[in-house]
Amino acid sequence: MNELLIIRNLTVKFYTYDGVVQALDNLDLDIKQEETFGLVGETGCGKTLTALSILRLISPPGRIESGSICFNIDDGDEPIDLLAIGEEEIRAIRGSKISMIFQEPSSALNPVYTIGDQVSEVILLHRRQELVNKAIETITALLAGRNSLVNILANPMRLAERSLYQKIAQNPHSLWPRIVGRIPIMRRLLQRLKDEAKKMAISMLKEVEIPDSERVAQQYPHQLSGGMEQRAVIAMALACSPSFLIADEPTTSLDVTIQDQILELLRRLKSERESSVLYITHDLGVAAQICDRIGVMYAGSLCEIARVDDLYANPLHPYTKALLAAVPKPGEEPHAIGGTVPDPLNLPSGCRFHPRCSRAIGMCREHVPPMHELASGHFIACHNYQGETGGSSC
Amino acid sequence: MELRAYIVRRLLLIIPVLFGVTLLIFGLLQLFSPVERAALYVTDPKQFANIAEVIEKYGLDQPVWVQYGHWITEIFQGNLGWSKVVSQPVTSAMLNFLPATLELAIFATPLIIFGGIFLGSKAAAHKDKAIDHATRLGAIVGWSLPTFWLGLMLLMVFYGLFSGLFPPERLSTEMNIVVHSEAFTQYTKLHIIDAILNGNGRVLLDSLRHLVLPVITLTVVNLAFIMRLMRSSMLEALGKGYILTARAKGLDENTVVSKHARRNALIPVLTVSGYIFAGLVNGVVITETIFNYKGLGWWAWQSAVNLDISGVLGFALFNGVLFVFTNLVVDLLYARIDPRVRLGGKVT
Ligand SMILES: Nc1ncnc2c1ncn2[C@@H]1O[C@H](COP(=O)(O)OP(=O)(O)OP(=O)(O)O)[C@@H](O)[C@H]1O
Ligand code: SF4
Ligand SMILES: [Mg+2]
Repeated sequence: MNELLIIRNLTVKFYTYDGVVQALDNLDLDIKQEETFGLVGETGCGKTLTALSILRLISPPGRIESGSICFNIDDGDEPIDLLAIGEEEIRAIRGSKISMIFQEPSSALNPVYTIGDQVSEVILLHRRQELVNKAIETITALLAGRNSLVNILANPMRLAERSLYQKIAQNPHSLWPRIVGRIPIMRRLLQRLKDEAKKMAISMLKEVEIPDSERVAQQYPHQLSGGMEQRAVIAMALACSPSFLIADEPTTSLDVTIQDQILELLRRLKSERESSVLYITHDLGVAAQICDRIGVMYAGSLCEIARVDDLYANPLHPYTKALLAAVPKPGEEPHAIGGTVPDPLNLPSGCRFHPRCSRAIGMCREHVPPMHELASGHFIACHNYQGETGGSSC
Repeated sequence: MELRAYIVRRLLLIIPVLFGVTLLIFGLLQLFSPVERAALYVTDPKQFANIAEVIEKYGLDQPVWVQYGHWITEIFQGNLGWSKVVSQPVTSAMLNFLPATLELAIFATPLIIFGGIFLGSKAAAHKDKAIDHATRLGAIVGWSLPTFWLGLMLLMVFYGLFSGLFPPERLSTEMNIVVHSEAFTQYTKLHIIDAILNGNGRVLLDSLRHLVLPVITLTVVNLAFIMRLMRSSMLEALGKGYILTARAKGLDENTVVSKHARRNALIPVLTVSGYIFAGLVNGVVITETIFNYKGLGWWAWQSAVNLDISGVLGFALFNGVLFVFTNLVVDLLYARIDPRVRLGGKVT
C-alpha cells in the first residue's frame, strides 16, 4: 500500500516565558492509504500537536522548527510537503483534503451560527464549482418550466442569474462573485449558491445519521446533545470528502453508549469513503476497536509502531508494556506506571522514558534510541527491549 | 419567531421596572418635609407666603400612596416641578438642555463604540505586534488622562495657541443670534440638523467647530475603555475551540476574525457600550463644564450645587428611564447576536 502521509523529523517548540518547551521531538510517522492509524499516549505527550502540525495550525508561542510532512494529494501526483507550501495552498487543503474532528464538540461549534450554516460554510468554501453547476442546472430546469405568469416575470432575472453563474463556471477565479457580493440587491443572485450548499449540508447531516436533519440544520449548537453535536462536527469534517481525516479524541467527552455509536459511524464512513484516518486517543481499548495500526507516543516522539493485533499480543517497548498493564482488566489490579510524566521544560536526556523505565541501562541516559524495524511492520525505539521475553520477539 | 416572543417578553418587563424606578425616586422625595416638597412646585418666591395652598393643591399632607398617585399623575402630564436654577419648569429645562447633550453624544458615541471595536479587534488579531503595542499605549494614556486636564489642554492649544480654531460653548455669539432669529427655524434644537434643514452652512460650520474639542475629549477617554474590553474579549474568543475549527475548515484569517470571533466577542462589549451611550446622553458634567457647553450635565450640576431639589429629582428620573430603555436596547441586541439568549439556554 502507498503512503498517504509521511512525517519526518517533525520538531515543534513552544517559546514560553519559562523557557523553551520541546513538544515534538524529531517525530517520524507514516500513514498509509485507507488505513486507520491510532495515536496513543498519556496526556501531554503531543498527540494533538502532531495533528495540528499536519494542518499547520500551531499558533504562537508554538512553532514548527523543522521537519517535513509529505502528503499525497492525488494518486500519481508528486507528494507535496505541507510545511513548505504557501498559506493559500494549505488553506485549500484544510477542510477539503485533510480535515479534523476535535475532542469537545460543544466548543468546536460556534454558538452563534446554526448547524446548517456551519456545515454549508465549508461546502461553499471548497465545493464552489459543484455548487455553481448545480445552480445552473436548477435555473435551466426553472427556465424550461411551463409558461405561467410567474415564470414569464421571473425569467429575465433567472437568465441574468444563469449568465452570472456561467461566468463563474468558466473562470473560477472570476471577480464577478466578489463584485456582486458587495452590491446589496445583487447579492441575492448568489443566494442560490447558499441554498444549494444548504441542501448538501442537510444531506451530509443525514449521512451522519442525524434524525430530522432539516430541522437540526436550523438549530444552534446549544440546542443539541453532545452526541448530536459531534455528529454535526463529523458532517462538517466529511462534507468535502477529505482523503485524510484526523479525529482527536472524538468520543472522550461523550457517554459510553454514544461513544460506541460515534465509533461505529466513523468506521462506516471511513470504509465507504476509502479515506485514511488518524485516530487520537488515550484509550487503548477504543484504539483496539477501530485502528489498523497503532503508534505509541511518549514525550514528543513515537516509541513503538505496530499492527493492532501485534501490539496487543506482543508489546515490545517497556513504555507500551507499562501502558497496557495500566489498562484496568476485570479481576486484575491495574498497574499504574511508576514515576511521573516528565516536565516538558526539562526533558530527561537520552531516552525520555529512562527515569521511569525498569529496564534502563547506562546508554539510555545518553543516547536517544533510534527507531528500527524489528519484525515486518513492527517498529520500536529502545536500547534494551530484549531480555524480558528472552529476545523471542525478534 | 422566537425573537418576537423574546421582544414581547422583554417589553412587558419594562413596566414593573419603570414602576420600581418611580417608586425609588418618589421614596427619595419622601425624605423631605411637606413644606420642602411643596418647593417643588413653587415658581415664584411670592408663593411661599401661602405655601399651605400649594401643599393642599398637590395633596402633600395626605397618605403616601395618595401622594404617589398625585405625583405620578403630574409626571404623566409632564409636570416634574420647577427648576429654580434656570427658572423654568423641569420638563422644559430638560427639553432645552437635552439637544446640546445629544449633539455631543451623536458624534462621540459612534466614534467611541465603532472606533473602540475596530481598534480592539485589530489589536487582538495582531497580538504583540506593533499595532497592538501602539493601541495599548494609546489606551493607557487615554484612560489615565483626567478629563479636566485633557479638556483644558485642548482648549489651551486649539483655542489659545491657534487663536480660536476650536472655541468653547455651543455657538459663537454671532451664530447664536442667527439661530435665535426669525429667519431660522429651530426644528429639533440640534443645531447641526437645524442648520442643514435651514440650509445655513455658516451655522453648520460654526456648531461643528464648537463640537470638535468636547467630542475629542469624550472620545479619548471612553474609546480607550471599549478598546481594552474589545481586545480582551476578542482574545478570549480567538482562543475558543470554534476558532480552531474555523481555521481547520480552511477559512482565511480575515473571515475567522470577522465572522467567527468578532460576533462572540461583541457580547460583553455591548453592555458597556450601552452604558457609555446612556452616560453620554445623561450629560457629561466635567466636559460640559470645561467647555462651557450648556447641556444636561451642566444643568444637573447647577441644580445639585444650588439645592434645586426638583431639578435633581427630575434629572434622576430621566436617568432612571434612560437606563431602563438603554438596557432594553442592549438586551434586544444581545438576542439578535446570541441565539442562546433568545432561545433560552446555557450561556457559557
Ligand atoms: N500553549 C502552549 N504553551 C506551552 N506548551 C504547550 C502549549 N501547548 C502545548 N504545549 C506543550 O505541548 C505538549 C503536548 O500537548 P498536546 O496537546 O499535543 O498533548 P496531547 O497528547 O494531545 O494531550 P491530551 O491527551 O491531554 O490531549 C504539552 O505537554 C505541553 O508541554
Ligand atoms: S531505551 Fe532504555 S530507558 Fe528507554 S525504554 Fe528502552 S530500556 Fe527503557
Ligand atoms: Mg490532545
